[in-house]
Amino acid sequence: MQTYLPIAEVSINIFLLLLMGGGVGFLSGMFGVGGGFLMTPVLMFVGVPPAVSVATVANQITAASVSGALAHARRGGIDYKMGGVMIIGGLVGSYFGSMIFTILRSTGQVDLMISLAYVLFLGGIGGLMFVESVRSILRNRRGDKPKVGRRHRTWVDALPFKMKFKTSKLYVSALMPISIGALVGVLTAVMGVGGGFIMVPAMIYLLNMPIKVVIGTSLFQITFVTASVTFLHSVNTQTVDVMLALILLIGAVIGAQLGAKVGLKLKGEQLRILLAILVLTVCSKMALDLVVTPDELYSVTPAGLIH
Amino acid sequence: MRRATFIIIYFLAGLLYGQPALAERMVTDLSRHIIEITSEFSGTQLLIFGAIERDVLMDDGARGIVIEGMDYDVIVVVQSSRHDMVVRRKEQIGPIWANRDSVTLKNVPGYYAVTSTRPLNQILGKQDLKILEAGIENLAIDFAKPMSPTEGKAYRDGFIRNMKAKNLYNQQEGTVSVLDDILFRAILEFPANMPVGEYKVDVHLIRNGELLLSEQSPLEVGKAGLERIIYNFAHIYPASYGIMAIIVALFAGWLGGFLSRKMSG
Repeated sequence: MQTYLPIAEVSINIFLLLLMGGGVGFLSGMFGVGGGFLMTPVLMFVGVPPAVSVATVANQITAASVSGALAHARRGGIDYKMGGVMIIGGLVGSYFGSMIFTILRSTGQVDLMISLAYVLFLGGIGGLMFVESVRSILRNRRGDKPKVGRRHRTWVDALPFKMKFKTSKLYVSALMPISIGALVGVLTAVMGVGGGFIMVPAMIYLLNMPIKVVIGTSLFQITFVTASVTFLHSVNTQTVDVMLALILLIGAVIGAQLGAKVGLKLKGEQLRILLAILVLTVCSKMALDLVVTPDELYSVTPAGLIH
Repeated sequence: MRRATFIIIYFLAGLLYGQPALAERMVTDLSRHIIEITSEFSGTQLLIFGAIERDVLMDDGARGIVIEGMDYDVIVVVQSSRHDMVVRRKEQIGPIWANRDSVTLKNVPGYYAVTSTRPLNQILGKQDLKILEAGIENLAIDFAKPMSPTEGKAYRDGFIRNMKAKNLYNQQEGTVSVLDDILFRAILEFPANMPVGEYKVDVHLIRNGELLLSEQSPLEVGKAGLERIIYNFAHIYPASYGIMAIIVALFAGWLGGFLSRKMSG
């Protein structure tokens, strides 16, 4: 059954969209990731314009992350002060990200920028994850214990404007969470991702936050920043397709439930290797599209996209 | 221009001889004058039909109808309202293919289809086809900046390839059927991504390489129902639309979480 999407202005089979939402939801439930980094490229592969994909997925992530954030809030898994500081950074970042997006869209470079950002980030993160999980599997085989101990003092501790974060039991510079939040804000606006894949490692390794508040706080931040991106893209480029977001969401909610059940049965390292392979596959597909000589060198867009 | 001249000549002839001015009459219509894009829309067909009434002067000055020996040709041109479009060309920068140069095409239709009884160049001369803008290659395309002939042709061809690939431009010669030299019908395909707006449907009647008559019918293409509400909301009140999108997402997310908690526990 074909369904016409009012903002994307394309007609796509509704079951395909539900399946895509379900598939990405399944993977995100299984791996415990947001799934924006998969959803945006997949939408682009089926013919949704890149700008609409990015803006709509941001909208869909708002929905996906609010339910997670509420669940974590119920068991006290959110550091609101830390989250609030990161949101301030995120709002500033999303504002600049949206501005960059709007300018690039009018000069015809937005598709290239989205692809490059994906190749860069997915390649980097996927590569790191792959190496890390192979190492930890090898370590387990040899029977070594991972080194535990307090983190050494680093350049992070030398930064000014220190703040107390009671829930996380931390005394760190506010500049750190603000800049992490800002980077994630830019990424959300230009890539249509929640940014959990950057934020979670940054919170663990750079801020040294306790694991039990990391996921909740990151979901809390993602809810606000994706909402801000939804608003900015609606105003600047009118690329948020509410209908598409809702269809994807329905699939994603169901898929995530199933995925979470399957995820419990797999070991951590196996899971991470699978996720790394998945990320690297999406990355290489996008990289290949950039370097292979295109069938058609010319492209057409209506003039006056900027209002 | 040429059409106007025809009409004036026939009109004057009519005045002089006190007889009906036209030797032929043509009535055309469309299967519908409004195409509505709703959520089920996945492209559509439009039937263009009409009748040719011949009223030919006999040798002795009497009026009679001749059925045989008259070969009529019909050309149907459908086009959407015209806007400026930007054509970009990719070039290899290092290992990566990226958009480099671009040019704006002035006033080109977002949808253009032509269909006819026979191949166009057998129906009318090149000059006449150009005046009528009948046939994709006869479409007038102007650039916003001066272009060398080779560059101009490359961009023009690139533009047309793009539009054809999206099924927005198409040309089907020889698919208009004429029944008994009186009735004709043409079917045109519209893709799901057709632009909205006011369309023009031109039907030209030709005999022996001469344009006899042209009829124009309007066609309106618009989004309808929920698609229209969402589209207009997003474009007329973008800030409110953004806030609505956020509220819908927050509510849907809360509801999703609530339902899955109920179901799993």
